[in-house]
Amino acid sequence: MLGIMRRDAILFVSYRTQVVAQFLGPLFTITVFYYVSRLLTARTFHSPGGYFGFVIVGLVIIQILTLSLGLMPGSVRQELISGTIERFLVSAHGPVNGILGTMLFPLCNALVAGVVTLVLANVIFGLPLAATSLLAIPVALLGVIAFMPFALFLVALVMAFKQIASASQFIVSGIAIVGGLYFPVTLLPGWIRWMSDVQPFTPATDLLRHLLVGAQLVHPAGVELLKLVGFSLVLLPAGLTLLAAAIRYGQRTGTIAEY
Amino acid sequence: MSSTPYPLPDAALGEPPAAAAGEPLLELERLYHRWKGPKPPVLDEVSLTLRAGEVTWIGGRNGVGKTTLLRLAAGILLPQRGSVRIGELTPRARGGRYQREIGFLSAGDRGLQARMRVRQQLDYWARLAYVPRAGRAALVAESMRQFELEEFSERRVDRMSMGQRQRIRLAMAFLHAPRVLLLDEPRNSLDDDGYRLLNAQIEQAAARGACVLWCSPRGEDRVISCDAGYTLRDGRLERIS
Repeated sequence: MLGIMRRDAILFVSYRTQVVAQFLGPLFTITVFYYVSRLLTARTFHSPGGYFGFVIVGLVIIQILTLSLGLMPGSVRQELISGTIERFLVSAHGPVNGILGTMLFPLCNALVAGVVTLVLANVIFGLPLAATSLLAIPVALLGVIAFMPFALFLVALVMAFKQIASASQFIVSGIAIVGGLYFPVTLLPGWIRWMSDVQPFTPATDLLRHLLVGAQLVHPAGVELLKLVGFSLVLLPAGLTLLAAAIRYGQRTGTIAEY
Repeated sequence: MSSTPYPLPDAALGEPPAAAAGEPLLELERLYHRWKGPKPPVLDEVSLTLRAGEVTWIGGRNGVGKTTLLRLAAGILLPQRGSVRIGELTPRARGGRYQREIGFLSAGDRGLQARMRVRQQLDYWARLAYVPRAGRAALVAESMRQFELEEFSERRVDRMSMGQRQRIRLAMAFLHAPRVLLLDEPRNSLDDDGYRLLNAQIEQAAARGACVLWCSPRGEDRVISCDAGYTLRDGRLERIS
């Protein structure tokens, strides 16, 4: 898998403007939300950074979601078209390991981009970061493991049905709403709020906000952590099983060779 | 006789070394495959045994099922009926043990990472093929030498001609010294030098006990000498030599 991660790193840096854009893009986004946050004085945001601190953590998670959930199905589809998935199929590495390998670089890249966003918010806009910020690293990694099954589900759909790019964007937008990435889930109407409790994005977001910007937690940290571990333990095997089944379906029907 | 500069995967796994000449290696038994829709099966009870040290050619019209047969043999597709085996190994064997034995070249020019350099491309493939780290660099260098790619080693793949890309794809198929080589239209885009290199590598592979299956629509595209020739027609193999 590290070989695939190395490959993706080589390909990523071969597009130099993409590297620059990745670091400049967050700067513009942060700037917009900094000035929006100065308009808001609501008491809903119980953190030293107010809405700015609240939304910055949401933006970091959106970055991770976009680069994993949002882009993964598209890049796997691109690998199908270019015939590089076929190389996984004829290699000792195998297709499931191969696809897991293709997730590593985007996820690491997303984590680095998240750190850059936080540093820019801190250095340029004075966002106060909590003393517990370093503890956010293991929680972010756990969050990534909990997010990964959703990417696996989508990739499995790509392997079986080829074209689901719009669905992945739809899902990322949906998660941004029910996961409370831009605003607190308490603002949501009751009929949709239950969705905030049945996925790992809300506990991951709440924990990261608590550790990074000192936001108050609704539930104790241990409970949020247990939720995250629980979602990972249930969803990751399910995602891997579904992916393997989708690949076998494609191999049996012959659609794996189609694009 | 050529040998690989790193221990063969078989040896690493403590399995028997390459089969003696004439021993069955790849066994395709009563393969059946039908694509979706009201069409007859593209492969209908096809059986074929490839033996160590032998080169086999399969021809047939476009769309007759040669590529499907190779994909089934490579484990890219799974048989709807019938079986594919190398000894006791099937394509679903754990740890990619079946795939370690296979060198596969697909038709066309797909399967390359366009923005990687030639050396990076071969190194990447060697990693996917679980070539041990200790011998990887030497093996990549040897592979570039075999297909005369040294002068392009630091050139990006998307800046190379189709024939040069085909040499890289061939180098990937031969790199990990597989016991079964499955080549789909390997002469595509090759000039005379490329064709000479391909033939030399096929001869060396056969000499070390590998079996080679070469598929192409026309007889004149095939390797100069082969041990058996077949035509695929209406889902069935007919021996022609």
